[in-house]
Amino acid sequence: MTLYRFSQTRDPVSGLLELQRELDRVFERSPDFGFGVSGRGVFPPVNIFGDKDGYVVRVEIPGVAPDQVTIETQGRTLTIAGKRDVSPPSGGGFHRRERGSGEFSRSLQLADDLDPSRAEASYQLGILTIRIPKSEEAKPRQIAVKAA
Amino acid sequence: MTTQELNVKHKQEVSGAEHTRPGRAYVPDVDICETPDSLWLWADMPGVAEESLEVKLADGVLSIDGQVSLKEYDNLTPVYTEYGIGNYARRFTVSSDIDADQIKARLANGVLEVELPKAARAKPRRIAVSGA
Repeated sequence: MTLYRFSQTRDPVSGLLELQRELDRVFERSPDFGFGVSGRGVFPPVNIFGDKDGYVVRVEIPGVAPDQVTIETQGRTLTIAGKRDVSPPSGGGFHRRERGSGEFSRSLQLADDLDPSRAEASYQLGILTIRIPKSEEAKPRQIAVKAA
Repeated sequence: MTTQELNVKHKQEVSGAEHTRPGRAYVPDVDICETPDSLWLWADMPGVAEESLEVKLADGVLSIDGQVSLKEYDNLTPVYTEYGIGNYARRFTVSSDIDADQIKARLANGVLEVELPKAARAKPRRIAVSGA
């Protein structure tokens, strides 16, 4: 697996461009990750990031209150389900209607080296973040060399 | 039909305009609804915090600009991506019948809600008909 790294620049603008370029590059690659994701184009869209401790799944679900989302793991499958309700005030007529509403459900297959039992989720500004740590055995470990 | 499957709408980049800020800007999905008293607008802007959101009405143009913080992406390497991350921007031409002083905006769960109350003269009025 090739790893792409964000530049360490502190400039937010070039950081943004850099990120976008990295995303585009990844986007064009054939998916060969330890993550089985099916259903590109199904709501909600997911982005998956990795760091040394595990994976971070970020899902854009604006307008969905945290109590309307359920996250379930069963074996190696992680399922995100919920409902997005966009109800207008009564007695109104729509001029423009671009935001979809309805129920959604999406499953991801987790890699073997992850530990779904220690997964944590948070929701902020319409983005759901699920952090799935690597299992202890899969973490890199340094082995001390003893002098003979 | 009781349930409806939601489809992803891919984010569209803002086009045909000069940007005042560098970086990518996406067009947020909006709903616009009219009630007898007001116009309501909702825009999906996930990742935008209150302090980095600007809603402005000038010369009859309502502009919405939201900046997305990339701080949370520090030290993360993309593995698989389906949506782009960038700022949001959109402009609307608003009729002059809006009471500009009374516009209210609220942000909740990544959705911006803007209420544009109609000026008194633009509200529908019922006129009593008196008998001869």
